[in-house]
Parts: sequence; C-alpha cells; structure tokens
Amino acid sequence: MSLLVRRQIPILIVFVSALLVMVDYFLKIPGTGPVVKDLQNWGIILTAFALGFGAVNLFYLHTRHISRRTAGQWPFSIWLLLMIVVFAVIGVATGPTGPQYSWLYNASYFALNATVYSSLGFYMTTGCYRALRARNAEAALLLVVGAIALLKNAPAVAVGIPVIIPAEAWLSAIPTTSAQRGIMIGASLGAIALGVRTMIGRETGFLGRLTEAERRGGT
Amino acid sequence: MSKKGKGFWARLEDVPREVLYVILLIVFIIPMLNPIGFPVPISDAVKKWYATIDAMPAGSAIMIDFGYSGGGEPELGPMAVAVYHHIFRKGGLKSITMSTSIEGPLLWDKVIAEVKPETYGAKYGVDYIHIGYISGTETAMAAVGKDLRATTNTDYKKVSLDQFPIMQGIKDASSFKLLICYTTGGDQSEGWVRQWYTPYKVPYLCSVIAMMVPTMLPYQKAGQIVSLTAGAQAGEMELLIKMPGRGIKSADVITLTHLLVFAFVIIGNIAYYGRKASERAGGG
Repeated sequence: MSLLVRRQIPILIVFVSALLVMVDYFLKIPGTGPVVKDLQNWGIILTAFALGFGAVNLFYLHTRHISRRTAGQWPFSIWLLLMIVVFAVIGVATGPTGPQYSWLYNASYFALNATVYSSLGFYMTTGCYRALRARNAEAALLLVVGAIALLKNAPAVAVGIPVIIPAEAWLSAIPTTSAQRGIMIGASLGAIALGVRTMIGRETGFLGRLTEAERRGGT
Repeated sequence: MSKKGKGFWARLEDVPREVLYVILLIVFIIPMLNPIGFPVPISDAVKKWYATIDAMPAGSAIMIDFGYSGGGEPELGPMAVAVYHHIFRKGGLKSITMSTSIEGPLLWDKVIAEVKPETYGAKYGVDYIHIGYISGTETAMAAVGKDLRATTNTDYKKVSLDQFPIMQGIKDASSFKLLICYTTGGDQSEGWVRQWYTPYKVPYLCSVIAMMVPTMLPYQKAGQIVSLTAGAQAGEMELLIKMPGRGIKSADVITLTHLLVFAFVIIGNIAYYGRKASERAGGG
C-alpha cells in the first residue's frame, strides 16, 4: 500500500475533520453545522461498531487461550465466551431492555459490579489504618485534612461539630479547587498540543503500525 | 521489638486486615438492619439543586443523563429516585432521559420501578421518556445537542419518537431548560460542561460519586455547574422532599463507617508512636 494511502490521506482526513469541528464549536459558521452534525453521527456509529469489534477481539484472544490451554486462564476464557454468547443471544432475541435480559443483568452483572465496587471500602479502610500516619509535618498535614474531610462527610458528625462544615468548605473551595484547576489547565494544554500534533501528522499512533521510515515521513 | 517477637504496639500497628474487615462489616450491617436515625444536615448544594427544579416553569423540558454503571447504583440510584419524585410531584415538567452509559437504560428501569410515576399521574411518552443509550459519550452529547432527531429517532424500546407527545417541539439543546447528569465517569460529568453548558448555556445539575467531587469542583466554582452533589447526599434530598428512602438509610451507615475509619486512623497513629517510643526505650 502506498504511503499516500497509508499516511497522507488519513492525516488529511483527520486535519479537515478536526478543523471543521473546531470551527463549528468556536466560530459557529452557519455552513459547517450540517457537516459537523454528520461527522458526529458517524462518530457515534463508529463507537457502536467499536463495541462489536471489541467483542470480536475478545473472542480471538480467548479462543487462543482455550486452544493453547493457558495455565490458570483457559477455564475462565471458556466462561467469559459463554457469557458473551448468552448475553448477546438473549439481548438480540428479547431486546437490551427486555425482561429476560434485564433479569440476567440484574442477577449477575449488576450484583457483581456493585459488589466489586463496594469492596473498595474495605481496602480504603485498611489503607487509612496503615497509611495515614503523622510520620512528618507533610504527612501530619495530610492527616489533618483527611480527618476534616472524613468527619464532614459523616452527616451526624457535621451536625454535632458544625465548625467542620465551613472548615471543609474552605479546604474544598480554596486549596482543592486551586490544585485541581492547575491539573486541569496542564492536562488541557497537553491535550491541545497532542491535538495539534495529530492534526499535522506528528502523532501517528492512530494510523496503526508504521515503519520507522514512514513515521519520519519517508517511504 | 522484644526478643519474644512483636510487642503490643507493633502488633497493634500491624493488625491483620481481616480483623479490620470484620469490624467494618459489623459496623456496616448494624445500622442497615436497625436504622438509628442520626441527624442529617442539608447542604447548600442539595438545597440549590432542589430550588433549581422547583423554580422551573411548567412545560420546561429537562435532559437527564443516566451515565452511571451498576457499581455506582447504590450511591447514585437513590439520588435519581429522589429527584424523580421531586420532578413528578411538582408536575408539568418534561423529563427526557438518555444514557451515555451502556447500562443506563437498565438502571433507569430500576429507578422508574422504584419511583412509580403513575402514582403522580405521570405517563410514559407524555411526562417522561427514555431515548436510549447513545454511544460515543462526548460525541453523543454534542450530536444530541445539535440535532436530537438526527442522532436517534426512537426511544429505548425502539418505538418511534414521533408517537410520543413529550417529543413535540424538542429539537436540540436549546429545547431544554435544564440538564441533569448522574455519572460515575469523568467523561460524562465534564463532557456535558463542554458540549451543553459552554455552547448552549443550559443550566447543569451534576451528581457524581464522592471520589469525583474534587475533580468537578472547579466547574462549580466557575458557575458552569449550578449544583454539584455526591450521590451519598441522596438522604439530604429525601429529607427535602420528605420521602425517606434508601439514601437516608445509608446516611446512618455513612456516619458510623466514617467514624470507624476516623477511629482506626487515631489507633493507627497511637500504635505508630507507641512503637517508636518503646523502641527508643529499648522495649517491645
């Protein structure tokens, strides 16, 4: 495949698409609206397609585990593929909000998901017990701030010790927000830089595997 | 450390995690079985959330995003239930829901089954509707904001939107007077600011899981979010609407478990300094 097809045309498509979306977002030029609307709807379709593609990829990966009898893995791979098939068949047959599919979801995935998430509380508790130690001045400061946040989020304590509420509010409004803004501005600048580099073809990760020469712009 | 093995302080410092887990579990279960009824203060954020919905004129359309996954349901579900109670009891508002999470429609079904809109005289397709999961997260938000019908023309059961009176006059983001998002993901909570607040200035109420609050605070301080709540504040909303439910029940659990963790932190520090002191003294 020529470099034009593999590299230059995709970069041109990305450049034009990104430029159109940006112009529509920031400048509101009337003619760009319908084009960007179509682009966004294509994006939605492609994302939905990616979900199906992900399932195919899972099949590919886990059938290899099964055929190779990967130690400690292949029985789980069988179970995973079986569940994908069960969910897919029932979902297609009864609809993704049909009673059978809803039952399956509520009785399995929903319960497991909530259980795994709630188990974080146990890890956090032991983490607090072992890590929140006033070993030095910085750790002591973290401990005090953590304790204030902890107590403020215990509703009855906040009623009993009202001073906790404005103290936590100040911590949230000033130090936390300031630090978070700094992080966000830094991340946004990074995203802008990445976007510009992608538009002009300096970032080629989205093109898949290229040879070193192609990455440098050669043939 | 003593020659006979770990001393008292060292053992206290290294309490097996299983012991901590069991204590936490006991403190968790007791108020679930026997609610204590600890007082719950109603925060300004929840009051503002309530006031925003209460002030909406009749006929206003609200876009609601069920953007959370099953793991977040125990925290965000009660909030969604309480807010729906408020919306339906007030009456005259159009609640149009979409999901940026693939599990959203199923979780919405659970919430609606709990709310029972029919008890308020609310009808599906007239007062509320779900237009389904729309993939793409931020792209979906942008597309719906630009032209809802071009993005989806059916509800979550694949029935044409033309058949529902609630959809009359609903075209794009400018058709909505309020945006509500319940989410476990930063893409959703921040995406709505970028795709709906910034270009269309749709007032935005956001409810997230507690650990996401610091990330979202700058948006609230900048006025891009009218009110930001953690799902764990559902009990406060239930008190405001005078309908105690799952949220207020979990408030007891939250109080006791937070106090337990606070006690653990103090014990951990006492053990740490106790061990250091005993080491300095040459004992165990």
